Amino acid sequence: MSETQPTAKSLGDAVPARELSMTVNGRICRVRCEDRHLLVEVLREQLRLKGTHVGCLNGDCGACTVELNGQLVKSCLVLAPAAEGAEITTLEGLALDGELDPLQMAFWDNDGFQCGFCVPGQIFAARRLLASNTDPTDVEIRAALAGNICRCTGYQTIVESVRAAAAATRDELYGAESNPPTFRAESRRGEHGQSRSPST
Amino acid sequence: MIRTALRYHFPDDLDEATALLHTHEERAAVLGGGTMLVPSLTRGDRDLDHVIDLRRLGLGGVSSTAGGVRIGASASYAQLLAAPPFTGATRLLQLAAEGITGGPQIRCQGTICGSAAYANPSSDVPAVLVALEAVIHLRGPENSRTVPAEAFFLDAFTVDVRRGELLTGVTVPTRSARVGYYKLKLVEGSWPIATASAVLPDAGDSLVGATVTLGAVSARPLRLDLAPLLDGHGRLPTAGDIDDWVSAQLGEPWDDELAPGDYRRMVAGVVLRRALQRAQGI
Repeated sequence: MSETQPTAKSLGDAVPARELSMTVNGRICRVRCEDRHLLVEVLREQLRLKGTHVGCLNGDCGACTVELNGQLVKSCLVLAPAAEGAEITTLEGLALDGELDPLQMAFWDNDGFQCGFCVPGQIFAARRLLASNTDPTDVEIRAALAGNICRCTGYQTIVESVRAAAAATRDELYGAESNPPTFRAESRRGEHGQSRSPST
Repeated sequence: MIRTALRYHFPDDLDEATALLHTHEERAAVLGGGTMLVPSLTRGDRDLDHVIDLRRLGLGGVSSTAGGVRIGASASYAQLLAAPPFTGATRLLQLAAEGITGGPQIRCQGTICGSAAYANPSSDVPAVLVALEAVIHLRGPENSRTVPAEAFFLDAFTVDVRRGELLTGVTVPTRSARVGYYKLKLVEGSWPIATASAVLPDAGDSLVGATVTLGAVSARPLRLDLAPLLDGHGRLPTAGDIDDWVSAQLGEPWDDELAPGDYRRMVAGVVLRRALQRAQGI
């Protein structure tokens, strides 16, 4: 803990701490954390996985979303010790080989990213939706994304990105011929000259 | 970060859990889904030394039997929604769970029993449990007991839980009924300003025996038997008469940052009528 951070006030200097073991993005990680640490703090500060963001720390914004034991969670609402033994996927875990996955690519191609702060929640919520519904309506997309706040107010392009990702998923599953092309990615990529492996 | 030197416990039996709660009393809290407790610790609204996590106690799960639906203390809204569709009155549980604020993340994390124990007037669960005549199961250091939901919610943020007790689950009895749920909130990410849970006789035009339980409009859920409103054929009066009657039942309406009490009094009748319409399929 740095000197600028607040110190414990209830139990003097005896801050309870423990060893924590969890599997993050397929790798077993062992860290030492205080009992009061939040999962988002351990992911960012100890494991240096900065793709998980700290937003409201109140469970409202969704910027800290990760997948924990197959469930979507806001990691600011999880005490780190409660993640002992858990399997966790963070945003970094979706592109382990350096290539964006189809959903991330759809966000890239459709300007679903603006400042990028809300991306973890939007991407994970969209993934969960598309896992069970590859042809969602806009109402269903918006309902699935409802736990995430975009302060750029870029909701329209986020919905378009999910719609495009759904179309791409259907193409992959059922073939493009059976599915009218609604994915705008190719033309948009051409306009902006964006590559498939963005460096930012 | 949380500024108190919190100690995290994850007991693997109920005796240990209740002993910890009994020993540390007001310095301890039960950790279920964490959606309310953890941010309250982060904000510094609560100053605790101990949290007692339920996760090893085997209290998860949703089971449906001929007699009713049993919801464990650790069962999330997502588990409730993943269960096979409920029938009869218990369907109300899934209707309410679908609209829980906070998106899929909160539905994966938040628990029905946690919401009951928190007893925030501006929430969905307390009124739904009262509407369905649910039974709350509590386990203390020395014995277990059950409390009807109607008696469990004592006041805003106040429930009938004694020293050392924790909520282990709720049981919702099955009965044949048509149900409708309606909630008013002004933005997607907001807590409800008013909710209504309508439970109607299974068939027919007569509303004799119908109840509507209002939530978020008063400190405790308000269960209304519609009998005083009905004519000789079991039919409702005009919308205006319904609204006036509902307003008169409210007593002192709940008042918080979401809406003043006067607003809640004005909308309560409309919300009740919309829940009735949904139950009737109108």
